[in-house]
Amino acid sequence: MDAKLKETILNPIFKGNPVTVLVLGICSSLAVTVELKGAFVMALSVIAVTGLSSFVASILRNTIPNRVRIIIQLVIVALMVILVDQLLKAYAYSIDKQLSVYIGLIITNCIVMGRIEAFALGNKPVPSLLDGIANGAGYGLILIVVAFFRELFGSGTLFGFHIIPQAAYDLGYMNNGLVILPPMALILIGVIIWIQRSIDKDLQEK
Amino acid sequence: MNTNSNAYTVIYSTIIVVVVAAVLAFVATALKPMQTANEKAETISQILTAAQFGEKASWTDNNATIAFYKENIEKAYTVDLEGNEVKDLDIADAEVYSTSDLKAQNYAIRDGAGAKLPVYVFKNGVKVIPVYGAGLWGPVWGYIAVGSEGNIAGAYFDHASETPGLGGKIKDDPSFRAQFIGKKFDFSDEKPFAIVKGGAPAGKDNAIDAITGATMTSNGVDAAINTWAKAYEKVLSAEISVEQTEVSADEAEVNVEE
Repeated sequence: MDAKLKETILNPIFKGNPVTVLVLGICSSLAVTVELKGAFVMALSVIAVTGLSSFVASILRNTIPNRVRIIIQLVIVALMVILVDQLLKAYAYSIDKQLSVYIGLIITNCIVMGRIEAFALGNKPVPSLLDGIANGAGYGLILIVVAFFRELFGSGTLFGFHIIPQAAYDLGYMNNGLVILPPMALILIGVIIWIQRSIDKDLQEK
Repeated sequence: MNTNSNAYTVIYSTIIVVVVAAVLAFVATALKPMQTANEKAETISQILTAAQFGEKASWTDNNATIAFYKENIEKAYTVDLEGNEVKDLDIADAEVYSTSDLKAQNYAIRDGAGAKLPVYVFKNGVKVIPVYGAGLWGPVWGYIAVGSEGNIAGAYFDHASETPGLGGKIKDDPSFRAQFIGKKFDFSDEKPFAIVKGGAPAGKDNAIDAITGATMTSNGVDAAINTWAKAYEKVLSAEISVEQTEVSADEAEVNVEE
């Protein structure tokens, strides 16, 4: 049981990473990775939403009518997302403003629904909670790595602090405008997938 | 129990929806006062930032922001489109127009009637006026501070959903709002203020450079400023000292052609 639980937690971080292996949640990882701060809060919000939705769905799993289960899952996810949004508006207003529409877009993040459908409906609440949190964390990890490179090379800052010295700009260094745009995020994710597959040969398709 | 029967499905769905709705209604009601307070403090801090009282980060919490506002506000009132004072805003209560109030006033300006536009006068001698309009994806709004000699003392802009890193720069890039400082509204011009792609023409002190890659947002801010500046013309021109301009570029060109 312990080994299985460990697998549940560790698998989504690397070998079964929702972004780089399952290729889910790409849309939002292109959108919110311009700055580390936004990526960080988005990661925490998704962790909270995936964890809690999987937990609640797992508690209800034996009562949910099979024919309407997707809609029920959607209602649960939407509930969690709106709760997160309302709490951020009340307790972390500036961050909520920064994330603006992306919080609402968590509802459409395939990872949340995907984990409920694939895991929570067939497992007990506690493993489901852990699975949700771990998948959120796997997603968040990629988000933060991508945001690190995009903020550093696109804006010359990390968490809003200037990292690249003014002297470099004086010598003719310029922030790369392409890195700010979503296509570069997709390229970065592609590079991460490439690196990951060259490290782990099991992930390579024959 | 047969969880696949029609009756079960309908009853189950109904219960879930009612329970979820109840939870959301409860949470929304419980958090509403806090959210409204946050929005109000945010509005005030934007007005203060436009009036050059330091960047937003200087106020640690909502109460500090509101206290700072009360300390530094001289007078707050609303005007109609003719520039006549309509009524005073309650300073003790730090009464300000929220974004949704500005939206309503934007309609009033468009209809040309019934507008009650707020003016915030600070002890450092600047008047702050709001602007509101449509950006690319949603509303954009901002505050412009006009000093005693009609010069723009500062500005602050915000948006609901412009693209981060592009249109979002109206808020996130301090160098955009810094361009406003030292500029002027010129009501003799076709547009009192212009945001120009490629930079303001030399010698023009009522224009600034647009944001690269965010033409639609820049145009939206331009339109918002001009619509509202015209509505405030009487208030603003009361303070703007008219300066004689030298031979304009157009006239010079005509001379060459002759």
